[in-house]
Amino acid sequence: MTYLSRRLILFAITLLLITVVTFVLTNVLPGDVATMILGTRSNAVTLAALRHELGLTQPLVVQYAHWLGRLLHGDLGTSLIFKEPVALLLEQKIAASAVLVVLSLLIAIAIAVPLGIWSAVHRDRWQDMIGSGLALAGISLPDFFWGIVLILVFARTLDWLPSSGYASPIDDPRHALTYALLPSITLALSLMAHLMRMTRSAMLEVLSQDFIRVCRAKGLGAGAVILRHALRNAITPVLTVAGLQLGYLFGSIIVVESLFNYTGIGWLTYQALLNRDIPLVQATILMIAIVVMLTNLGVDILYTLLDPRVRLS
Amino acid sequence: MRRRTFLQSSGAAMGGIVFGAGPGFAANAEQPRRGGTLIWGHSETTQNLDIHGTATASTLRLLQNVHDTIVTVNHKFEVLPNIAERFDISPDLLTYTFHLRRDVKFHDGSPLTAADVKYTFERIKDPKTAAVNYDVFIAAQSFETPDDHTVVVHMSRVFAPFLARLAELGAGAIIPKDSGSIQGTKPIGCGPFKFVSREFGNKAELARFDQYWQGAPYLDGILEYEVTEPTVRLTGLQTGQFHLINDIPLERLAKVKADPALQVKTWFPLCWAFLNFNHAVKPFDDPRVRQALDLMIDKDALMQGALWGGGVVTGSPSFPSSASYDPAIKPRKQDFAAAKALLSQAGIAPGQLQFVFKVTTNYPWHVQAAQIMQAWFEEGGVKATTQQLTWADWLSQCWIHRDFEVTMMNFFTLWEPDFLYFSIWNTKGSFNYRNVHDPQIDAWTEAARRSTDPAERARLYKQVQARVHDQTHDVILWFRDGTVGARPNVGGLDQLVHPNGSNLEFRHVWLTS
Repeated sequence: MTYLSRRLILFAITLLLITVVTFVLTNVLPGDVATMILGTRSNAVTLAALRHELGLTQPLVVQYAHWLGRLLHGDLGTSLIFKEPVALLLEQKIAASAVLVVLSLLIAIAIAVPLGIWSAVHRDRWQDMIGSGLALAGISLPDFFWGIVLILVFARTLDWLPSSGYASPIDDPRHALTYALLPSITLALSLMAHLMRMTRSAMLEVLSQDFIRVCRAKGLGAGAVILRHALRNAITPVLTVAGLQLGYLFGSIIVVESLFNYTGIGWLTYQALLNRDIPLVQATILMIAIVVMLTNLGVDILYTLLDPRVRLS
Repeated sequence: MRRRTFLQSSGAAMGGIVFGAGPGFAANAEQPRRGGTLIWGHSETTQNLDIHGTATASTLRLLQNVHDTIVTVNHKFEVLPNIAERFDISPDLLTYTFHLRRDVKFHDGSPLTAADVKYTFERIKDPKTAAVNYDVFIAAQSFETPDDHTVVVHMSRVFAPFLARLAELGAGAIIPKDSGSIQGTKPIGCGPFKFVSREFGNKAELARFDQYWQGAPYLDGILEYEVTEPTVRLTGLQTGQFHLINDIPLERLAKVKADPALQVKTWFPLCWAFLNFNHAVKPFDDPRVRQALDLMIDKDALMQGALWGGGVVTGSPSFPSSASYDPAIKPRKQDFAAAKALLSQAGIAPGQLQFVFKVTTNYPWHVQAAQIMQAWFEEGGVKATTQQLTWADWLSQCWIHRDFEVTMMNFFTLWEPDFLYFSIWNTKGSFNYRNVHDPQIDAWTEAARRSTDPAERARLYKQVQARVHDQTHDVILWFRDGTVGARPNVGGLDQLVHPNGSNLEFRHVWLTS
């Protein structure tokens, strides 16, 4: 059996397990979608009728089997609370999240790589301390903390950017960018820290090699040595990690999108959870899981292409 | 028009939804003009668009513009003809005959007939629909359509609130026959605007319906953006991204009113709030304990603190312009000595009473109110611990499972007195999550349902209020103001708000540029 087919089978099993766990956990939470739909207008009669109508009175195993059966036929179902087809909701929200993830990846690379080089070149001096200190802060503190700090600084104090909201990149590109900026920076921060550390250590490794000494010996300027020769050799693993983190970023959007009220897939997942809307919870979590797993697989394959010493088995 | 055109209201007069006219208001009475798309920054996310299946005020606020009801109400909550150009009620209140207008069209161009009304009513009554306003039709036995423009409803027993409840969108909005299955995503009705599209959580679009029976509205359409963060919404209005927003953050209201480039409209009331005790949990079954806690609350300071003054303290939860509103019921003044005396009579020593005060973060001002009250309870020798719950948790714990000691809640638009008093205080009431059991209130609310005399009903409901107050079944806290902010080029704001205080009727609004 090839590596790829084994990985794909493992994929399917993992996804199945994820749907089971999601289903069980969502059902363990207090309240159900019927209480959420009727809110403070519910009474025993309407509540019972609605639960019956939504199929919530069936045993959990039956509910799950029904859902899985439809899924295998390519039907994600209808959101119980918003009454829209789940597939349509995902389609409407995916672009928003894609903008966020790509933007944060670009921000992270744009800042982390120069910072990593700067730290490596000034190894163990104050510049390195600052760079490493920033990276440590980025890794150590959670997304939501940085999100709140950014809101306080850039939205509330400086009033440069909106603290929350979303605009469609197609209808209104300028506003779309202003809305996406703060959440993207928030998402980028911890990734930035990882990438900066990676760049720094890769650069240090390359800078200590003989060919760099040769470059310097033949009289190349510091800039040319670092950018043309050292960075070129150090950047590959950094970009690979960045790609790998794409999946991680996609997994982090629930908190960040909800914090900034940025209505993408992460926000939708949070809404679905708040409202105990099981078909929607299942679909959004499944989608995030698939993206995470596909990027991981993609990166593994990419490794073998970039570095012939790596073999997948 | 760069004029200061703000409106002030509330407090001064308790005569209903009050639109106090500011000095520059007349300037706004420019000639209505046709055309333009109004961009509305809406405070909440819309949900299920099926008018029979939605319970959220946000969705109703949008759908008010898509649908129209068989009867309607004025600001005094008197029932008026609407789609039904007249209605006859038999003296025994068992037969309601609705004579429909002949010029009402649905958005697909088809005429509204008796068959559509029958379908609508039957759909709500059918438990399978799980309609939110199912209870309106509990006494309706059968629906008859002797001709295309007449609908007869036969009641199995007298249910006095029936007609007035039909003025609510959830019960009285008429949808085309057999359109139930599409209403959730593509609502169709006979209201002034056609539904065009919605991107969930972001925006919805409505377009003028030229064949609307009361005349096509001024606006070409409405673009509704759902902006739940108050500061962003307000900034959007200030920068001109929105023509109009609802729900200005109360702490920013004074500043916005002072801005000559904006119009602000406040009205009263939007909703009312009350403090709840679980009557099935000791010692809250003892009226002396409930009253002691009531006496520890300075209602005016609480309203100022939690709502920034954006409301009015009240002892009666009836809509102020309705017949059952009783201004004679005065909230109790803060009196710690009296409160401590009552607690000691109830056998509770200072420091002995401890409870958990559950509030939902869905209404941030409730969290603030709970924290303020907690300090007063402390001063009165009672230890309260505030517990903040998400909306789902509050609904599950407090509303469904009645697992709480003390909580608070607010209600929108319960202007129909049976809906208010029976639902909330009758032992069998749907909204009696506090386990209130008072045989006198049960008898009065039942009697009001069967009474054919409006004056008698109002008298009964006033008795209920007095009883709620005397027994401190709950503590009625305040009416909260509604607010709308608009750019100077928006006209017709004085007719924007529906009598129910929550819905917005954009058919009265125009853009001057």
